[in-house]
Amino acid sequence: MSQRKSYAVGTGLFIVLGFAALAYLATQTSSVANRQQGDSYTVDAQFQNIGQLKERAPVKIAGVRVGQVQSIALEPGKAVADVKLSIDKRYDTIPTDSVATVYTSGLLGDQYVGIEYGHAKKYVANGGKLALTRSSEPLEEMLGKFFGAGGAADAIGGTYKVFARFSNVGTLSAGSPVKMAGVPIGRVVSVQAEPDKLDALVTLAIDNRYNQIPDDSAAAVFTSGLIGSQYVAIQPGGSPDMLKNGDEMILTQSAMQLEDLIGKFLVNGSGSGDGKQGAGASTSPAGKH
Amino acid sequence: MNARIERDNIVTQSLGQIGACGLFLLQILAATPRSLRRHVRETVRQLWFVGAMSLTIIMVCGLFVGMVLALQLYHVLSIFGGTAATGTVVAISIYRELGPVITALLFAGRAGTAITAEIGLMRATDQIAAMELMAVDPLAYVAAPRFLAGLIALPLLCCVFSALGIFGGHLVGVTWLGIDNGTFWSNMTATVDVWQDIISGVVWKSLAFGAVVALIAVFQGYTAPPTSEGVAYATTRTVVASSIAILALDFVLTAFLM
Amino acid sequence: MNAAAPSDDTLIRIRGLTTVLSGKKVFDALDMDIPRGKVTAIMGPSGTGKTTLLKHITGQMRGDAGQVQVDGKNVPELGREALYALREKIGYLFQNSALLTDFDVFENVAFPLRQHTSLPEVLIRNIVLTKLQAVGLRGAAQLAPSELSGGMARRVALARAIVFDPMLILYDEPFVGLDPIALNQVLKLIRTLNQTLGITSVLVAHELDAIKQVADRVFLIANGKVVAQGDPKTIAGDGSPWTRQFFGGEADGPVPFQYPASDYAEALGFPRSGA
Repeated sequence: MSQRKSYAVGTGLFIVLGFAALAYLATQTSSVANRQQGDSYTVDAQFQNIGQLKERAPVKIAGVRVGQVQSIALEPGKAVADVKLSIDKRYDTIPTDSVATVYTSGLLGDQYVGIEYGHAKKYVANGGKLALTRSSEPLEEMLGKFFGAGGAADAIGGTYKVFARFSNVGTLSAGSPVKMAGVPIGRVVSVQAEPDKLDALVTLAIDNRYNQIPDDSAAAVFTSGLIGSQYVAIQPGGSPDMLKNGDEMILTQSAMQLEDLIGKFLVNGSGSGDGKQGAGASTSPAGKH
Repeated sequence: MNARIERDNIVTQSLGQIGACGLFLLQILAATPRSLRRHVRETVRQLWFVGAMSLTIIMVCGLFVGMVLALQLYHVLSIFGGTAATGTVVAISIYRELGPVITALLFAGRAGTAITAEIGLMRATDQIAAMELMAVDPLAYVAAPRFLAGLIALPLLCCVFSALGIFGGHLVGVTWLGIDNGTFWSNMTATVDVWQDIISGVVWKSLAFGAVVALIAVFQGYTAPPTSEGVAYATTRTVVASSIAILALDFVLTAFLM
Repeated sequence: MNAAAPSDDTLIRIRGLTTVLSGKKVFDALDMDIPRGKVTAIMGPSGTGKTTLLKHITGQMRGDAGQVQVDGKNVPELGREALYALREKIGYLFQNSALLTDFDVFENVAFPLRQHTSLPEVLIRNIVLTKLQAVGLRGAAQLAPSELSGGMARRVALARAIVFDPMLILYDEPFVGLDPIALNQVLKLIRTLNQTLGITSVLVAHELDAIKQVADRVFLIANGKVVAQGDPKTIAGDGSPWTRQFFGGEADGPVPFQYPASDYAEALGFPRSGA
């Protein structure tokens, strides 16, 4: 009989342990952990573009989670997204001139709504509205502006070959595109190390249609997007003589490290962030050239 | 008899086994109410042998799976600068796939074989026949409790496995590789959905796997030829058939649930 | 069905039982009357279906034709519940004892009680200890089945079989593999149980000497039929070629030495007409 009881007790413990684990998973590692416990109030905000913002996305002030996106709807008759934010009652002192922005957590993360406090003495009430908003800035747009990445090279007829030497080609390889003003005009035929000159000799095959490239043009190794592949960009020079088959390009710029690019971007790009909002999508900005 | 076995090819044999297994499931289900009414203690006892005794292996494996996942993902994600997502990806992969599948495979190896061998030997030593002659229905006393125990135990084991997996992932990701503790948890809680990931992944999937593994194990034991060779062969078949069934069912369930 | 009243002297009445197993006729219109309150032995060459006959009596197997009436009920026609109700009144002793390896001796004997009754623990304990005392193994109550010798295991199985005070006990080869002491212990138990409790006993066995000491009646079956029956002390001398071969232990006779086979000379590759 004691044998039977110990089974029952042990089995009971096992079942309790199993359910405890389930409860832990469900409440501590899932979105349930983020559910509002206390009361909340609702605030409206209108955005030109919400990007990838979803319902139940977090709302943060100074990086601290204060609520979540309750609903997203299109404002009737206007190309404006009406976003209702559900914010914890404890944070009911948000100035009316605060700015709501759609941010991305990290480079690849989900989007959330960030609120920066304004200076007004009045606070937003339940059902009130945040008038000042900044829309989502698609990452592609920003990167596209900065890097001018383009699509793949067309299937093309005859080509001519030119050479270029780089001290660093990054991850450039045979088959990578060659672009001018963002438009593919050819591709890399081979990448060879030149042991005696301590650099890399890259052979480019350029479409015969593009035979009006000045011979003092510069070749640079660029990256399409942040984590994309690398390509050779040709920046036209001003010489009256054109590149011919077998020529070597003298001016080259080697591959930059991602960290350098981001550093440059942060220094140069952050100040003009406000002015860029709502700009037309242009993943290949030079596509019409 | 021999001539027939030779004539049957592997396809018709497998189909015959699946059909017999399905009929056996019906028999077990028919015996389940009787089993719960009269032999509920036996179900509790089997839950101990099948579930609680598998805890150690499940916990250790869960811990290591979580640890190795975090390690692998950290290095891949660091290429894209996305190490903050390590916790999320560990959680999602464990909840949706690795938790239910690995737990079920371990369960088939640890408990399924034990069930098959035990029932096979009970039959070989006439214990099943003895029960029938003592007017105790072996379907209700032997088969149904083990089936029910497997059905209940696997989801519970899978929860424990998943929890330990998350813990292992946290151990490697945060303690060793230095991902920020808050980032690890907040990214996870922002992405993991209770219904989509935990209930339909951990609970429903492992419930289905539990039913399949327990059914195969009981069926193989029940139909094993009453010889040492027969029992040994049935035990092997339990592992093979369970593994195939788990992975095939996993695909079907993923296609339907997700 | 209506032929047998419970007060009938015949407990088991088999009429025209015919069973075909994988193409072989195990029973061919077998008739047998097993008297109530007596010890009856069923003998016969190996493979004649003696154990199969017991399985027909308990309803584990069903014949292709004929009746097996036990206590007035035709077993092949019983539903599951009725069959189980009947089985509660039948004890069965397996050749290999078939103790449940999960439990110790005490729980093995208590098993039928726990499954079919909700008696208080004290009562179960008393019943079990009484039965174990009857087979002389009260001291072994806490042992596991794997710790028992063959003779002890058989006595435990016997205690389990009688725990419900059945009306009928079927013994499948109860003497096989026992040393003379254990054999006599089991023999004594069979006799005591029959005499003191009036339990009808059916034995399947080969040991004529042992059977002579306990059985009131012997059936010799071969080729699916009863070929001889009578008192165990005199049956060997009844003059039938079956009994002469079986009890005389002759290698060849009505039961052939050779398993049925094709022509020997042909199988060896010689021409049929002979060299």
